[in-house]
Amino acid sequence: MLVNVKGLVKRYDKLVALDYLDLQVEEGEIFGLLGPNGSGKTTAINCILSLIRYDKGSIEIFGKPMKPNAYDIKRNIGIIMQNVAVFEELTVYENIYYFCSLYIKDKIEVKRLTREAIEFVSMEDYADFYPKKLSGGLLRRLNIACGIAHKPKLIILDEPTVAVDPQSRNKILEGIKKLNAEGATIIYTSHYMEEVEQICSKIAIIDKGRVIAQGTKEELKAMISLGEKITMELYELPEKNINELKEFPGIYSVEYHENLLEIKSAKGRNNLIHILDYMAKNNIIFGKVYTELPTLNDVFLEITGKELRD
Amino acid sequence: MSLGLYFMRVKCLLRNMEGIFWCYIFPIILSTCLYLGVSKLGAVEEFETIKIAYVVGEAQTELSKEAGTAVSQEQAELSHEVGTAVGHNELLSVMKAAKLSEDKYMFDITLCSSKEAVDLLEKGDIEAYIIGGDRPELFIKENGLNETIVKSFVDSYMQKQITIKNILVSNPEALNNGLIDDLIGQTDFVDISDKHKKPDNIIIYFYAILAYTCIFASNWGLEEVINIEADQSMRGARISASPVSKMRLFACNMLASYTCHIISVILLFLYMKFVLNVKFGDELAYLIAICLAGSLTGLLMGASIGFWIKKKPAIKEAIIIAFSLGCSFLSGMMAVEIKYYVTEKFPLLAYINPVNLITDAMYSLYYFDGHNRYFINLMLLMLMAAVFTVASYFGIRRRNHDSI
Ligand SMILES: Nc1ncnc2c1ncn2[C@@H]1O[C@H](COP(=O)(O)OP(=O)(O)O)[C@@H](O)[C@H]1O
Ligand SMILES: [Mg+2]
Repeated sequence: MLVNVKGLVKRYDKLVALDYLDLQVEEGEIFGLLGPNGSGKTTAINCILSLIRYDKGSIEIFGKPMKPNAYDIKRNIGIIMQNVAVFEELTVYENIYYFCSLYIKDKIEVKRLTREAIEFVSMEDYADFYPKKLSGGLLRRLNIACGIAHKPKLIILDEPTVAVDPQSRNKILEGIKKLNAEGATIIYTSHYMEEVEQICSKIAIIDKGRVIAQGTKEELKAMISLGEKITMELYELPEKNINELKEFPGIYSVEYHENLLEIKSAKGRNNLIHILDYMAKNNIIFGKVYTELPTLNDVFLEITGKELRD
Repeated sequence: MSLGLYFMRVKCLLRNMEGIFWCYIFPIILSTCLYLGVSKLGAVEEFETIKIAYVVGEAQTELSKEAGTAVSQEQAELSHEVGTAVGHNELLSVMKAAKLSEDKYMFDITLCSSKEAVDLLEKGDIEAYIIGGDRPELFIKENGLNETIVKSFVDSYMQKQITIKNILVSNPEALNNGLIDDLIGQTDFVDISDKHKKPDNIIIYFYAILAYTCIFASNWGLEEVINIEADQSMRGARISASPVSKMRLFACNMLASYTCHIISVILLFLYMKFVLNVKFGDELAYLIAICLAGSLTGLLMGASIGFWIKKKPAIKEAIIIAFSLGCSFLSGMMAVEIKYYVTEKFPLLAYINPVNLITDAMYSLYYFDGHNRYFINLMLLMLMAAVFTVASYFGIRRRNHDSI
């Protein structure tokens, strides 16, 4: 186990930011920490990195207890904070060089790694730019380059795609996958379920400082009763029919408003066929029909009773 | 700590426009303004000959009118008769002889009757008139600098006159030994009261600018803390998560800050000395030494405040600015009188005010021959630096934070 967090508690006065949080990250994973704003993701990362004091719990990284002066552990970690952390007075190249030289002594090696990092985030054309001349997306990429230049074994990214244009976002996500393919273990926090679904091999959903579900995305979706969501465009649907639909086996929720019929069914086969059959028999005319498999949002919704994004 | 990190930090600091402006440019502007202001001020305050009227004692009007024209400078410079020396017309002679400078008389005296004198004063043609006699009387219309000068002159004369009389009563021989020369030959009256004092006050302002620049290093010290503490900045978080000893990195960065800062102080000093031609005296090495000590104290003071005051960076910055301005104010940057007042009434405050220690050390170099007072100030400054070093040391040892 690469990272082992047990029973982590962090309070800010009365507010409990982390409530006996447990996380286990295996080597080679892209571990997603998914939770809404204020759920404690950043606090958890800060504790894991020993940047802040915590009230209770234990944190082990690479099998050793993490402490502020555990330099041998820190040497193998790369961090990308949720806010850009670079020097305004240094160019792109110098920033990466500076942070890399905090990890590696050999100058020639630092230079080589700096070049590689610039290449990795495709910022060759911007090497001599000062941060204030960079767009938001480029700034994020610089932020990432500063965190990964020293080729860490464990990379922690805290919402690296907030306020980033879609193109840069895809580049970032591709980059993370590539780093993982090259052997780095990744902890990735986000409140975007799409991103987490797209890249993470294991996901922990957290809410109010507590892990409420953990597993692969398939495992997470299997945990909930929802199997399929069917949506139909309908201009008219009498109450009687709604009630009859509710009686169908496997269907546990039927809602109709604003000309949309939304049916949630449990896992099972042929749900859609049964419904279409019923519509035909009752001469109900309908427009578009589409079905969706559950998302992590549905998982979150079912466990917490609220949407992931507020 | 590697030299590379040191030079990178120096590069950072020298590219920080704000820091450079306040430390490198602003004091130069300030001292230039002071220089220009002073040369203009000097021109205005250059003393002009004062127009007065002298009314010789009524009974001797005719005689004295004659005498008035006959009174010569030689007569005033050295009177040969005791009677004349202490007589009531002697004041007139002395006033006639008094000079502001080599070729400028202090008073332009009209001899007239008291009626005419009243008229002249009324019209504003003269600033004062004096009715001579055993006890000369001075009449003025307004209270101004010139009136004050005339009054002091007459008062001083009267004082001396009494002294002479007393001396002559007890020791008649004194007259032959140049007594009058000593006492009445006071043509440098204005020189004593003014010329010496003026440059003193001005050099104090240059000292104050130097001292303020030194103490401004506190901002740089604070920046170093913000830069390295995880709860102060994102860069600080990144640095705190890296495998470097924060203590050593901090020392390295402080050294870089110190380097850049003392360069600014030395440049300012050279600018004052060679461009503005400020007369700092001969002990330049001592002057620079106190600047180096002051800059170090400022830097460490800023760091200590940064470590120990639990506030947002912006608030800490405001505190530092208020604090250094306050110290400068109390040390007489705006008005020298405040410095004297504080030193007299609240000596402790003067001793713990780093800006005051710096200016006082510079001041003592200028005014005193020995170096005792200078070294007392230097030692106190170094003591403060030591205290702040300890405070910073324990500040950085607290390692991780309650919150970010
Ligand atoms: N420095 C702090 N002081 C007080 N409360 C804080 C502080 N930092 C975070 N919090 C609170 O802790 C909770 C978790 O915050 P955070 O870890 O930043 O959430 P996330 O990163 O998931 O958005 C929030 O309720 C937030 O308001
Ligand atoms: Mg966060």
